Amino acid sequence: MSTTFVINLHKISRFVNVAIPVLLALSFAGGMFISFYFHFLTVLLLFLTIANLFYLNVQKGHAILRNFGLLGQGRYLLESIGPELRQYLFASDQEERPFNREERSEVYRKAKNIDSASSFGSRQNFDASEIKIRHSMFPTPRESLKPFSLTYGEERGLKTAYSIAHPIMISAMSYGSLGAHAVRSLARGAKLAGIPMNTGEGGYPKYHLMEGCDLIFQIGTAKFGVRHKDGRLDEAKLAAIAAKPEVKMIEIKFSQGAKPGKGGLLPKEKITDEIAKFRGVSKDRNLISPPFHHECDTVENTIKFVGRIQEISSLPTGFKLCLGNIVEFEALVEEMKRQSLYPDFITVDGAEGGTGAAPKSFLDGVGIPLAASLFSINDCLKRHGIRDRMKLNASGKLVSPGRQLMAFALGADAIYTARGFMLSLGCIQALQCGNNTCPAGITTHDPKLQKGLVIESRMLRIANYVRNIEHDLEELLRATGRTSFSELTEENLYIPSNVTLSDHSLRSLNGQMAS
Amino acid sequence: MNKKIIVSWVAQIAIAVILGQTLFFKFTDAPETVELFSQLGMGPFGYKLIGGLELIACVLILTRPSIIWGAILSWGLMSGAIMAHLTKIGFSGDYRALGVMAIIAWLLSCLVIYLRRKELSIVRNMFG
Repeated sequence: MSTTFVINLHKISRFVNVAIPVLLALSFAGGMFISFYFHFLTVLLLFLTIANLFYLNVQKGHAILRNFGLLGQGRYLLESIGPELRQYLFASDQEERPFNREERSEVYRKAKNIDSASSFGSRQNFDASEIKIRHSMFPTPRESLKPFSLTYGEERGLKTAYSIAHPIMISAMSYGSLGAHAVRSLARGAKLAGIPMNTGEGGYPKYHLMEGCDLIFQIGTAKFGVRHKDGRLDEAKLAAIAAKPEVKMIEIKFSQGAKPGKGGLLPKEKITDEIAKFRGVSKDRNLISPPFHHECDTVENTIKFVGRIQEISSLPTGFKLCLGNIVEFEALVEEMKRQSLYPDFITVDGAEGGTGAAPKSFLDGVGIPLAASLFSINDCLKRHGIRDRMKLNASGKLVSPGRQLMAFALGADAIYTARGFMLSLGCIQALQCGNNTCPAGITTHDPKLQKGLVIESRMLRIANYVRNIEHDLEELLRATGRTSFSELTEENLYIPSNVTLSDHSLRSLNGQMAS
Repeated sequence: MNKKIIVSWVAQIAIAVILGQTLFFKFTDAPETVELFSQLGMGPFGYKLIGGLELIACVLILTRPSIIWGAILSWGLMSGAIMAHLTKIGFSGDYRALGVMAIIAWLLSCLVIYLRRKELSIVRNMFG
């Protein structure tokens, strides 16, 4: 079939390249002989002609511009606004990553206290191999539900043991990755909701402390806030932070889902004078933490280090890791038993974890996803008979109640989410977290952009989100016929045959969780 | 501070002075201005429009994020001025100084645009 009318961009651009100088000549003649006002146009065309000559003949860096000139510039223009166009106009409700519009809007609705019921069936693809929750024919009556309570450090009989009454917590986000307004909104919301907040590895948590909420202090591999100049642990500083009444627990970060096998990363665009001071570093280059704690060079030393922090802080102390290899983890467990020294909790971060700047290859390609790693770690601890010596926290894209309940069923005792709370704050997934240009004012230190984030209104969204998530979780729990999250096991899940959770067959694993 | 930045600022200030010093005459309908623009067939609307654009260029070229836009605008205005001298009013008598000033401001605008080429992709791409 022949086409009679086509848009040939090659021809159009060649035509434009000839038309501009011709128009320039005509306009110049108009200015000479008709009216001097034509020269306004002449000047504009002169600029375009010169620019076009440079594009076609002088510059050597852009092939499209060298071949097609001015119209080629349109490509760069369109490409620069492409992400916004796709997000607003063209992407379908379930297409975007990391969170599609449906997932985001569920969080927004919870944060704004709007009912999220919808009609005419699920829009998920049911042919896909997704884990689902098994409901019981005999749901639990509301009054039979056991109230949620979890006490960290009870296994060691600590005086400072810390109890939480809500199953979700704000995951690690440092001051540095977030701006001051975002940190304070989260902290004030956490206080209102009665949940703890992890400080992230950002050094002295000035803004986290400001609002009086319970804190979990995180020690990153660079030990910001508790380091000597040479990067070793400064015990006095740690003891001082642990002595603060707001600080309830200590979390040692071994690795994180966004970039397992690599240290924290703060782009230099986001390092202000204050951040440089809190972290004790210079502000003119990207801040890259080491990939591991220097003290933790062997399995033995790793467990010793956990014990040392437990001793100095006298608080419930655990560690966070993204699982890479269950064999390594098993060695760690054996060492715990040998030294009879156990962390008070382990935070399992799935590779889908996402807050924090990370090289794309690490974001996309490294680490075990949450379903498989959580199941494997839980199973490993049970096999060694030490599951009751510690609590398990789960994190990694756990923004909606469905996924959170699945994490409980796979072994979690409590849920951490960071991006769920960022979305509650008003994150629009502009994906500019590392550039200091966050349009929602969350991951930026630019006062002009932070102006949009009013702490008083945002803290309510945080509290709403917690309350509505908890409500949905309880409804889901009742549907399974169990009375508390700790009764849930993988038997409460429907796991399609092509999804393997077994720890010894990690190679054939295709762990996916439904949203 | 970077040497290029200093050179650029000196040029920016010079451009603003050259453009700015004629504004008083344009906005007060000074006889010299009326005479000059009448040779171009332009009345008060014409020279006040140009004066307004020159004022905008002065502000833009002295304000941080818009310097390159101010330089492009002043480049355009001075291109027009040079064309006026070349085609209509010439360079003799009083017009010599004005014409030379326009050429200087035009060259300085080119310099600022080049020094700050990285700030605007349309210009940046001209140089690869």
